[in-house]
Amino acid sequence: MSDLVKSMDSAVETVSIICIVFISISILMLLYRVIIGPTNPDRAVALDTIGINLMALVGLIAILLETTRLNDVVLLIGILLFIGTIALAKFLEKGVIIDRDLD
Amino acid sequence: MIKENDLILRTTTTLIAFILFGFSIYLFLAGHSAPGGGFIGGLMTSAAILLMYMAYGLKAVSKILPINYQLLIPIGLTIALLTSIGSVFIGEPFLNQTFGYFDLPILGEKELATALLFDLGVYLTVVGVSLTIILTIANDQ
Amino acid sequence: MISNLAVLPIVIPMIAGILLAFFHKKIPLVRSLAKILTTTNTLVVLFIWLYVKENGAVILETGGWEAPYGIILVADLLSITLVLTTNIIGIAAVFYAPASLSKKQEEFYFYTFFFLLITGVSGAFITGDLFNLFVFFEVLLMASYALIVLGGGKVQLRESIKYVLINLFSSMLFVTAVAFLYSVVGTVNMAHIAERVQGVEQKGILTTIGILLFFVFGTKAALFPLYYWLPKPYTVPNPVVSALFGALLTKVGIYSILRVFTLIFIHDTDFTHTFFLWIAGLTLIFGVIGALSTNNIKLIVAYNIIPAVGFMLIGIAIFNETSLSGTVYYLIHDMIIKAALFLLVGAVVYLTGTTDLRKMKGLIHHYPLLGWLFFLSSFVLAGIPPFSGFIGKLQLLKGAFEEGEILIVIVGLLASLLILLSMIRIFIQAFWGEKDETVTVNKAAARRFTLPVVFLLFFSVFLGVGAELIFPSVEQIADYLMNPEIYIQSVLKE
Repeated sequence: MSDLVKSMDSAVETVSIICIVFISISILMLLYRVIIGPTNPDRAVALDTIGINLMALVGLIAILLETTRLNDVVLLIGILLFIGTIALAKFLEKGVIIDRDLD
Repeated sequence: MIKENDLILRTTTTLIAFILFGFSIYLFLAGHSAPGGGFIGGLMTSAAILLMYMAYGLKAVSKILPINYQLLIPIGLTIALLTSIGSVFIGEPFLNQTFGYFDLPILGEKELATALLFDLGVYLTVVGVSLTIILTIANDQ
Repeated sequence: MISNLAVLPIVIPMIAGILLAFFHKKIPLVRSLAKILTTTNTLVVLFIWLYVKENGAVILETGGWEAPYGIILVADLLSITLVLTTNIIGIAAVFYAPASLSKKQEEFYFYTFFFLLITGVSGAFITGDLFNLFVFFEVLLMASYALIVLGGGKVQLRESIKYVLINLFSSMLFVTAVAFLYSVVGTVNMAHIAERVQGVEQKGILTTIGILLFFVFGTKAALFPLYYWLPKPYTVPNPVVSALFGALLTKVGIYSILRVFTLIFIHDTDFTHTFFLWIAGLTLIFGVIGALSTNNIKLIVAYNIIPAVGFMLIGIAIFNETSLSGTVYYLIHDMIIKAALFLLVGAVVYLTGTTDLRKMKGLIHHYPLLGWLFFLSSFVLAGIPPFSGFIGKLQLLKGAFEEGEILIVIVGLLASLLILLSMIRIFIQAFWGEKDETVTVNKAAARRFTLPVVFLLFFSVFLGVGAELIFPSVEQIADYLMNPEIYIQSVLKE
């Protein structure tokens, strides 16, 4: 039984590390898109995706380190990402983020 | 052209802004012995307020929250500084803190520390600074 | 000696800054409060200075956390002397500010940022923790960013972008260097680092970190290859702000070099300190060339900061007791005289309405006191005996002579001559010459400008003429710097 647990542990660890590597690569590729991105909406989508990848990265690191302390961090990145995406979308659509008077 | 509207944004904002306020208070209180604290709590609060600004516009939110954010900065700094020099007056080293266990209604017995007051100062300062910066940029046409 | 005294020079200006932020619109009240508060702070610091001189360094472990773990503040004689000098300059600046700033600038939190700058500078002098040094650097830089754009002219904004970028970059390097050092010795407490450095096997990596830190501090202190950013941003803000920057910011950099390279990185002096000597020589030469190359009087004074930093670095490079006492003395002297010069030049620019030397003449007929004050301060700066510049340079060059570094002595002497030339050029062009009848004379404004300058020059002259009184303290500091064990023991209490 304990053998099984041990092998599971090492399997989880290996999988997490592989995932971390691939996510890091995809973040790098997204960064390329952010810099090159022919249009601004491309950049916005790429930035959004970078954020999602970051959340995944933090989650995987939390698995690796076997801690629950990083859960708040995932939530935090998610919230900031949400607000950032709204701001970007509004900027691209309207050219202004905070309107003076909407009504 | 059809008049644009932010119906989805507005509906979600009413919900999410309050979740954010709750989360920011959680982070603020968690800061004593876990990740969190005044800084990140303040940042979350300003994120919530920013979300409201984005959904409802400058004029409406200024009516709902008539707070002078510039004034929050010195108030927050004063609280932080007073709690940190409080220990000097009773002969303890600067920034020293004390704590006790209190029986609170509903919550039960909780640890309360004077470091929390210091964090409150940090919280107010962060809210003040970040919203001052954001609103200054937003006002600039 | 554990005592809360060490934190007062940091807390009082901070309280003052916050207090004044509440009524930033009520200018008469703010002015008088600022004057009272700086004077109070200076008196408190004077008291601490006397206490430290009598009883040795005052150490504070904040929050009751013991030395290697908590944040500590160490007010030893060197730190507290520099804090005292800072506060004297602060008094002059506060009294000068109403005459020179516009109403809008004063309303826009000038006094708050001024006090925060003083907080940052005092904190950087007093802290005993390398990471906290970074924190206080950031505090003073934040205040300086706000002060440099005060007024917001077009040129001002362009120069301040350069200033902000270079400082952000060097702050980033600073954190990196501290992180490297932490990974090698496992602590950021300066005394603890100094103790552990002796046990590190690979000295090579320490030397690398040391040079990295040297470049960080060198950027702040405007040393030879890194000074290019300094002169222009220092000329664009209001004269009070220029004076504070010129007197305090570069000196914080040089103080950090002095502290770190007498306490921590002393394992490979053959390499590091010889390197410093070359940098010092080149800084002297290039700074003086800059000062002679321009007709903008603000720029001339700003360029004169650079050779002064070169002189102080000579003392650290030579690294014996005589030269270190010279560095400490020169540091105090240079802080005061640079503030006085920037204030004087600010007054001249205000009264003539131009910074171009070629457009001024005969000012001494209209403003005799201002002229003679300028003459006196050029002599103090260039180091004509018996003024304070002379005594500092004498000690520095004597130290160099003892070690047989003749070349640097020659360069130093040549540089002082050229500094005198650059200052006298201003005096001859702007103050001498025929009386210009066309200009409107504003005696009242001139009088408001001269009082703070007289105050500073009084200290400067006293530093030179009363050297007998002051020198024992300076020698005590130099002796203390030569024996880092005293510092380590007083902090770690072993």
